Amino acid sequence: MGERLVSMKHIYKSFPGVKALDDVQFALNAGEVIALLGENGAGKSTLVKILSGVYTRDSGQLEILGKQHGDLSPKQAQELGVAIIHQELNMCRHLTVAENIFLGREKTKGDVLLNRKMEAEAQHILDDLKMDISPRQVVGDLPVSKQQMVEIAKALSTNAKILIMDEPTSSLTSKEIEDLFRIIGALRKSGCGIVYISHRLEELKHIVDRVTILRDGKYIVTADFAEITIDEIITHMVGREITEKFPRVSCEKGREIFSVSNLNAGRMVRDINITLYEGEVVGIAGLMGAGRTEMTRAIFGIDPKESGEIRLDGKVVKINKPMDAIKAGVVLAPEDRKKDGLCTKLSIRQNLALPNLDMISDKIIGVLRRKKEDVLCEKAVKSLAVKAHDIDVDAANLSGGNQQKVVVGKWLARTSRVVIFDEPTRGIDVAAKVEIYNIINQLKEQGVAVLFVSSEMPEVLGIADRIIVMCDGRITGELMADEATQDEILTLATKFEQKTAAGA
Amino acid sequence: MITVEKGYEKQMEQTLSPIRRFLKIRGMGSAVTAFIGMVIIFLAFGLINPIVFGSANIVNLLRSMSIYLLIGIGQSYVLITGNIDLSIGSVVGMSAMISATLMTMGVPVPLAILITMICCLAVGAINGTLVGRFKLPPFIATLGTMFVARGIAFMVNGNRNTDAIASGIGREAATSFGNVFYYGRTFGIFNTFWIAIVLFIIFFFLLSKTRSGRHIYAIGSNVDAAKLSGVNVGNTVTKAYLVSAFCACMVGLIRAAQSGMGNMEAGVMYEMFGVAASVIGGVSPLGGTGILLGTLAGASVWQILENGLNMLLAPVGIQRMLIGIIVVIAVLLDVVLRRGQGTKLSRLLQRGNSRAKRE
Repeated sequence: MGERLVSMKHIYKSFPGVKALDDVQFALNAGEVIALLGENGAGKSTLVKILSGVYTRDSGQLEILGKQHGDLSPKQAQELGVAIIHQELNMCRHLTVAENIFLGREKTKGDVLLNRKMEAEAQHILDDLKMDISPRQVVGDLPVSKQQMVEIAKALSTNAKILIMDEPTSSLTSKEIEDLFRIIGALRKSGCGIVYISHRLEELKHIVDRVTILRDGKYIVTADFAEITIDEIITHMVGREITEKFPRVSCEKGREIFSVSNLNAGRMVRDINITLYEGEVVGIAGLMGAGRTEMTRAIFGIDPKESGEIRLDGKVVKINKPMDAIKAGVVLAPEDRKKDGLCTKLSIRQNLALPNLDMISDKIIGVLRRKKEDVLCEKAVKSLAVKAHDIDVDAANLSGGNQQKVVVGKWLARTSRVVIFDEPTRGIDVAAKVEIYNIINQLKEQGVAVLFVSSEMPEVLGIADRIIVMCDGRITGELMADEATQDEILTLATKFEQKTAAGA
Repeated sequence: MITVEKGYEKQMEQTLSPIRRFLKIRGMGSAVTAFIGMVIIFLAFGLINPIVFGSANIVNLLRSMSIYLLIGIGQSYVLITGNIDLSIGSVVGMSAMISATLMTMGVPVPLAILITMICCLAVGAINGTLVGRFKLPPFIATLGTMFVARGIAFMVNGNRNTDAIASGIGREAATSFGNVFYYGRTFGIFNTFWIAIVLFIIFFFLLSKTRSGRHIYAIGSNVDAAKLSGVNVGNTVTKAYLVSAFCACMVGLIRAAQSGMGNMEAGVMYEMFGVAASVIGGVSPLGGTGILLGTLAGASVWQILENGLNMLLAPVGIQRMLIGIIVVIAVLLDVVLRRGQGTKLSRLLQRGNSRAKRE
């Protein structure tokens, strides 16, 4: 075991109304990867933000490289060798890759920028990491997964001794995740200490040496990864045993209610044919960038369709804008809940009421009926078990899992025929995931057709009845969940068309 | 697939002609578009009325354009940080009134300019502190300083315009002040233009080539990312507001030199002229994009339009309406081209693009 890089003891931190950290301890040694685990709101992000100088602690000791430190600024932490890859992408999308990598510590002569030198060095870093990105590309033009890679390159370029990764894989493809793990392995060998935060527990076995678990702002346990099972980890995180990770209900598959035929919309949605039946959950699997989100957007009428026919109960419906879809009973819980799913500055009540205003206002001038709104919101909050003091709290203040429940809850007040979920469990904790699964199952029992997009294969296998796999904008295969394996899905998900590989 | 694209990219970088490489500079696209628009408007007016092409007119044009250029530079700096400065016009008024009042009191010109500059920069520093450090919405903060600065312009000389500055510092000093800032010529072109162009070059360099300039773009693009990268947001925003106040101060001095006195109403609405020049040239009011060359083009478009319409004896109302329409069209084009996915025009352009890539 290497020297001690970080030692945090008796850390306390409160935010208005919340005790985020309550006597937490944490230690990191050189040459190890430590996973910081816990449910959403357990305090993982707060802890690493204190270490990286984004937040200041209320009290407690912070020792970096054997020296006690008071409050740090992000810059001071950086100078001490702490680098952090934040959960949310933190890039200046108008600037180039090289400019982002060197932001805040530009190479200059006097005050004049040395652009060529920075570009050359950025190229060097990117090549080292085997990243296929040009330093002169503008970050906003890159796909999200590449932006994430740039963020990783940026953190590594500081030659950090202590590297914190807060959910680094949430938007990477499996190939890129492999590359990242290779990089992490190399860094560990070179004596870096790495703090790794992830909700994807199955990833841990590839890289992690030890785990530290937090729950509700309290320190629970630290253990060698070899000596603890995933089930034990989950029990520590949740505080109780979760018996069923993927609850499944079986329903009689009913008649056909919804079909999409020959849907085309841009390069990422080509010749899509899908049929949905009553009481069936259809999973859409595929790699990042396979066109799954684009497909849901086209169906829901956000992006224009070039061709295609949508039928509901055998009748053709025209969906040119989201309102058409909602009126027909087709609803979408989008992927990016902060951007597309919620008005974070509005309250839970206002968010829940937003798509249902027609139901709670009078028909002539649209005056809202407070009573009807109350009934609608109370029902939604209760049936979804949203954890909040009251429904007038801003949606921004909720944890990820609870935000997701509100996104889903918006649509449950209506009698929908088809519900589309796009990555509903991304970045939320185990217990909240199970609750989302239960909602999906509930809908299934009510005879609603559910389309469920997910990048996590165990989840698709566990929840969906039928799995459709997409690759590069096309459907490459369809499997029944009880017969499918992860390998089969992966094979279909990487079935690129020959001509693209050989093209140009 | 990915490797194909990269190969293409590398190939492109190698075979790019100097012109193509020039056009690939960020923000150059809109700047060049604005320049082309400027040339078209200029030629059109010239063909209608040949006097437009006359050297006397061009020299005048360059001088009047300089004022909008200076205003535009200041406003562009602030807009690129994602903020706005509504106090520019009032600072112009303040500058004209303070400098002229001091001169009528017999204060020597250099000292009067120095005091004026300090007062104006103080407004910039206050704007920067309110917006950068105390995180006030820039619209509100600079709305406040706009009223305060205008109030100061009114109060400096007891709620009336000043007398001629010659009454204090003497005819000779007043004439030379007027010459330096407005009436004098160097190489046949008015000094106002040379002042503006020198400042333009300095500020262009600072914005595009220095660390502070880079930080201004970073803050406008994503303030959180900039902060977490160790950029001092408060200081950088303050720098932008100081540039804006400095430019406004220069314009106030030019106005005082032009009229030989201080006018309380000098510079009214200039902040909006600055926004217009910036936006026509491709500076996004949302921050993060645009270059000063664009602002130069934007200021020119405006002045040529105003000048040409004057030559045609068109009423001021028409000028204003045209400027308004041009601003909206410039931004509309930008929106349609960049974000208007699904519109026929953008789909057409995209199709052209992907075809080019495939070939």
